[in-house]
Amino acid sequence: MSNSFYVNPEQLVNDKAQFAQKGISRGKSIIAAIYDQGVLMLGENTSASLNKISEIYDRIAFAGVGKYNEFDRLREAGIRWADNTGYVYSREDVDARALANFYAQHIGDVFSEGMKPLEVEILVSQLGNELRPTKIYRVAYEGTISDEPLFAVVGGEAEEVKRRFALTTSSVTSLVETVKSAVLALTGPDRTLAVEDLEVGILEDKGSRRTFQRLSDDRVRELLS
Amino acid sequence: MGLPLFNSMTDPGPNFFEYMQSVGHQPFGQGAMDEQAHATTVIAVRCNQGVVMVADRQATAAYVASRDIRKIEAADRFTAMAISGSAARGIQFIRIAQLSFEHYEKMTSSILSLEGKANFLSPIIQNNNFNSPLYVVPMLAGFDPNHNTGRIFEYDGAGGCYERSDFNVIGSGTQFAEGALRLGFRPDLDLEEALELAALALYEAGDNDPSTGGPDFVRHIYPIMVTLTKDGFQEIEGDAVGERFRRINDRRAESRGIAGGQLR
Repeated sequence: MSNSFYVNPEQLVNDKAQFAQKGISRGKSIIAAIYDQGVLMLGENTSASLNKISEIYDRIAFAGVGKYNEFDRLREAGIRWADNTGYVYSREDVDARALANFYAQHIGDVFSEGMKPLEVEILVSQLGNELRPTKIYRVAYEGTISDEPLFAVVGGEAEEVKRRFALTTSSVTSLVETVKSAVLALTGPDRTLAVEDLEVGILEDKGSRRTFQRLSDDRVRELLS
Repeated sequence: MGLPLFNSMTDPGPNFFEYMQSVGHQPFGQGAMDEQAHATTVIAVRCNQGVVMVADRQATAAYVASRDIRKIEAADRFTAMAISGSAARGIQFIRIAQLSFEHYEKMTSSILSLEGKANFLSPIIQNNNFNSPLYVVPMLAGFDPNHNTGRIFEYDGAGGCYERSDFNVIGSGTQFAEGALRLGFRPDLDLEEALELAALALYEAGDNDPSTGGPDFVRHIYPIMVTLTKDGFQEIEGDAVGERFRRINDRRAESRGIAGGQLR
């Protein structure tokens, strides 16, 4: 017999959720949005070396918000999973949906069984081809996975950023337009952001196998001008 | 398989080979078959712009097992891997090298140095060659963007890694190709001269070594030729390679197969 006290499960889940939400909303937001040639991932990040947006595989990218050590470990696990799957089967068999599901299961397991939930939210983007659609999956701190049709926002004041982005963008447009809208949505009307404080990655087909590309400050400046 | 998560004590880091072993993959297990396909001659020559490489296309297993095998592949943008010995292990080896370099890059957001790549392969070669009769002797060559020069790394059967300042040959045609290279190599070769010398050396190997395939004018299968320069790994198009070997062949046909005391 365990000698722990009875805790109302609803209370427990609420407490954990509140704890995780607090951690996640303290950080900055990241937006993933589909544009006419690919998928954009854009976020506020004052560090040029501790990345939040990263390549996972040929057509898959990752973005994480919340505690860096927690989401970076998930990023590494995702790269391992993808490289291993591609090695054992074939590169075409690496699918973002399967990866997003693994993230959801793991994050959900930690939420319900762990001492402390993970204070992270994750976006997994996939650039489509003949085999698979272009997709953005969002995995929340308690393991909820959602398939976002056009764009998704995690971290910071996600709801507010989401609302602002939806105001300017209602359909798929060019990279230039999407970057501009995303930056406006992040800052809101009262704030401006230096290009150096933005982290931007895209998935776009340019003829080579790997489609992820980190955009330099100069390139972002050019897109915003 | 679920998500491959580790705690900080057991984490294999950005090393994909170590990760594979930690989850029980043994890509280079023991083998006992002795009648399997062998891949032969590959040549690399340094020049003022980087490195050029050429390889024949034949794999043998007491007969011609393949006429169009590829023994040189890009390991990443600036690096090429070449194989000789067991074709099965060699191809496995190229896959693991390609994957490991890319894995490291994605995990750490930085590119492994050329020397780092060369050293990484040593224990894997040693492990394979000491435990299995399926011998593999690869070669790593590339343009080193950190030092702005072409570099060639050769391995012995025990996995020892040696940097070569001039040229290197692996495979059964080595002694014949090496003869031509020793006579023709100069430290100031330009790209075109290096390509021609490498092609001549491969022609020699194809002429003298029964396992090395020469240019196949009947099937239009020609050696693979690549350049590694500041522009990265570039493969020369098949027709252009065929044209080069046809010229060599014509010159040799004129003199009835005799080189006649010069590289021609």
